[in-house]
Amino acid sequence: MDHKSDALLRKILKNWANWQNPPANGRARLLWEAANTSHNKIDLPVILLRPQFKTHSTSSDWSQTFFSWVNENSIQLRTQARMI
Amino acid sequence: MPICAEEMGVIPDSELALSLQAGSLEALGVLYDRHRGLVFRTALAITGDAEAAADLLHDVFLRLHRFAAHIDPGRPLEPWLYRMTTNLAYTWVKKRQRWFRPLEDVADWLAGSRKDTPAYQAEMDDSWRQVQQAVSSLPLSHRGVVVLYYVNDLSLQEISDILDIPVGTVKSRLHYGRQALKHGLGLLAGEILPELQYEFT
Repeated sequence: MDHKSDALLRKILKNWANWQNPPANGRARLLWEAANTSHNKIDLPVILLRPQFKTHSTSSDWSQTFFSWVNENSIQLRTQARMI
Repeated sequence: MPICAEEMGVIPDSELALSLQAGSLEALGVLYDRHRGLVFRTALAITGDAEAAADLLHDVFLRLHRFAAHIDPGRPLEPWLYRMTTNLAYTWVKKRQRWFRPLEDVADWLAGSRKDTPAYQAEMDDSWRQVQQAVSSLPLSHRGVVVLYYVNDLSLQEISDILDIPVGTVKSRLHYGRQALKHGLGLLAGEILPELQYEFT
């Protein structure tokens, strides 16, 4: 191995990788999202076992309630899938 | 008694990992400040995309928060971060190759090359673009080894542990990756670009 060209290659790659810096607002974004991430919410079975919709007795239209529940939970699942 | 941010700056990773397991976001913030450069550089070098690297940096630490309970505080944190970063970066590159590259090629063909615009030229000068092209042209598995070895200064054994491949495979990938890079950058015949030489003298 040519040690001289190897050292030069190391310097080139290091300088290139240091050419850009991490985003300045990354820490705040991370902490905000971590604070708003509930482990229970990410757990799929928990979501399915605790549907967030009114019971049929309080709803005049069960089909509307059903589709609202599907929509709400699919949005929730997509959001969590993106975060995972 | 809660620990203030200044005190956390000198606390070892192992104790911060314990605090993180107890739900401390302060500990997550300190770990982020301490290791974000490592994660960002690795992601940037593998993906060649600063926006993707920023997103991966975010994802890696979000996973650190989410999976804190599964992390062994008695072991160094860096290998976990490297492993997660390379895995996510590999996934990003594979997805992009599969879904976006054909679309980008068509868009470039229709609108002319976006990368020839003055704004893009100002953003990345020719010498860095040459390095990025040389790295991006490596097979993904070689790229990961090269980045961990040259950018992050890891040993062959450490790379073997992180990527979960034999040391012999690391050596082989490093050899071919090194040769391809030296060829791509003109280091073999000593024909390195003046701009690149300038950066290191």
